[in-house]
Amino acid sequence: MIKDLPGRTNGANPVTSLVRPGRVHGDIYTKAEIFEQELEKIFHASWLYVGHQSEVPEPGDFVLRTMGRQPVILVRGKDGVVRVLMNRCRHRGALVCEVERGNEQHFRCWYHGWTYENTGKLTHVPEEGGYPSDFPFDQYGLSQPPAVDDYRGFVFASLRAGVKPLREHIGLAAKMIDLMIDASPRGEIFLDMGCNKTTYGGNWKLVGMDGYHPNYLHVSVMIARAKREAAASGKPDAEFMNSTSWSDASSSVTRDLGNGHSMLDLMEHRLSTVDSYLTGLKKLEGGPAYVDAMFAAYGPERGRTLLAMAGDPHVGLFPNVQLINSHVRIVNPIAVDKTEIMMFPVRLGGAGDAINDNRLRKHEGFYGPAASGSPDDAEIFERTQRGLQVQINPWIELSRGMHREYVDTDGSIVGKITDEVPQRAQMKRWLELMSSDG
Amino acid sequence: MDEIEAFLVREARLIDEHRYDEWMELWEDDLVYWVPCNEDEIDPGRHVSLIYDGREGLTERVWRLKGKQAHAQRPKSKLQRVVTNVVLERDEGDEVVVSSAFVLGEVRNAVQTVYLGRNVHTLIRRGGGLRMKQKKVMLLNNDAPIGNLTFLL
Repeated sequence: MIKDLPGRTNGANPVTSLVRPGRVHGDIYTKAEIFEQELEKIFHASWLYVGHQSEVPEPGDFVLRTMGRQPVILVRGKDGVVRVLMNRCRHRGALVCEVERGNEQHFRCWYHGWTYENTGKLTHVPEEGGYPSDFPFDQYGLSQPPAVDDYRGFVFASLRAGVKPLREHIGLAAKMIDLMIDASPRGEIFLDMGCNKTTYGGNWKLVGMDGYHPNYLHVSVMIARAKREAAASGKPDAEFMNSTSWSDASSSVTRDLGNGHSMLDLMEHRLSTVDSYLTGLKKLEGGPAYVDAMFAAYGPERGRTLLAMAGDPHVGLFPNVQLINSHVRIVNPIAVDKTEIMMFPVRLGGAGDAINDNRLRKHEGFYGPAASGSPDDAEIFERTQRGLQVQINPWIELSRGMHREYVDTDGSIVGKITDEVPQRAQMKRWLELMSSDG
Repeated sequence: MDEIEAFLVREARLIDEHRYDEWMELWEDDLVYWVPCNEDEIDPGRHVSLIYDGREGLTERVWRLKGKQAHAQRPKSKLQRVVTNVVLERDEGDEVVVSSAFVLGEVRNAVQTVYLGRNVHTLIRRGGGLRMKQKKVMLLNNDAPIGNLTFLL
């Protein structure tokens, strides 16, 4: 029994008392007042991923998104520039765009007819004579977040000014984003294949990078895969049950990339199995051409690495975006015990239809609300949310592997694949932002 | 038409009651079990689906549901479907396309969720009976965030 730690939230500065080395208090997942602080101090005050430029390829193309609780429009203006516009009329505050995606020259507030170009500029106010002739209409364009930037097409924005430059915020995770983009021999990806939207009754922080759970939570998927491979080869199932990938014996590792970003680094493992992977890939229509194009574009060594990684960096950027397998995932906090997830399958430019089809079918098999993987994750998050109502021994243990983690040459912190390095990375950044003033 | 309606009602009952093996017997070997995502009319090669199972995928889905490690179905959803508005879209003798509407009530962990939607079944006449070649399930909320959808649709 641990006696020196508080049993519940109290005191003048509750937040800082809720995160300790290797453990966090259950209240951070269950208390509505903490959730409200998270919205203000994290989601309304730091870099968030908003969307990908390929979602709005043509001038006028737009999609609606939410930053924390604030509705925004990701739009490519008539000038070709991709912007993030706050979805709120500058007159009386109604939404100016009400459909989820489309193409528009203008956004109009249908309350009183104030009309904006797709660049955000205010172009029409009915009965203009109701304002003095020197009314500064030119300052009444749709608001924009004070910081907007993109990393190779991934658009981020911050609703608070004064954040560090995006490239600095992304830091070591940039190389991981590259692994996804450069799975295309043209370095070109498209998030234009729709989006699985799911919801679960649990806190947003529960969906993270965890290399400890697959052998247990997803064992049925692993058995099914072994049965499939065994059936194809005529050998017994047991020969294909490989549970070492997600064990301490694995060459895969967890990494804290700084700024709350973390990953399951599967590179060593993937490189060790790249030959059999490529044999399978080449059997697909367009497979050999794709493999050749990758080597031509990136050379033998980098090409091999990129092929082995198959566009799957398995990285999460704090607080709201993850690049996992063949999709980009946005995490939207709705309430302390409700989260929505959007999953956008990624299409690789310069890969044949058969390759992209195959990626899409595999995605559907494991991810989304009706698949074999995500719903079991969601189920366990919901069980966690319910379990955390228990207030006896309220601390969550996140210390796994603390005694064996080390700092790599690039500055990232490395642990075994089963270690809770990513969870600690997330909580470190969480504490930093939650402890800040204002 | 009576025969077709009876088939749809029986199919609904088998999945409501989690009678997986009997349900699997309704299918042709070469099958597509399809639940589009975001919109009803999509190209499944260029747009993500909620489910796009062939024989292998569906066999695996059912195998998982029958076991104890499909956690999202532990406990299992209680299900009740009402199938109605049956329209014969096409009858080519051996192959019949029929659309129907459904109301699906689900209760799990004491929470009731209601789904609505439309099915299009492609049925094959074989040996005096009907078998499913394709089932397309168009959920009314396929463009909204959806919770646990791991029971059969």
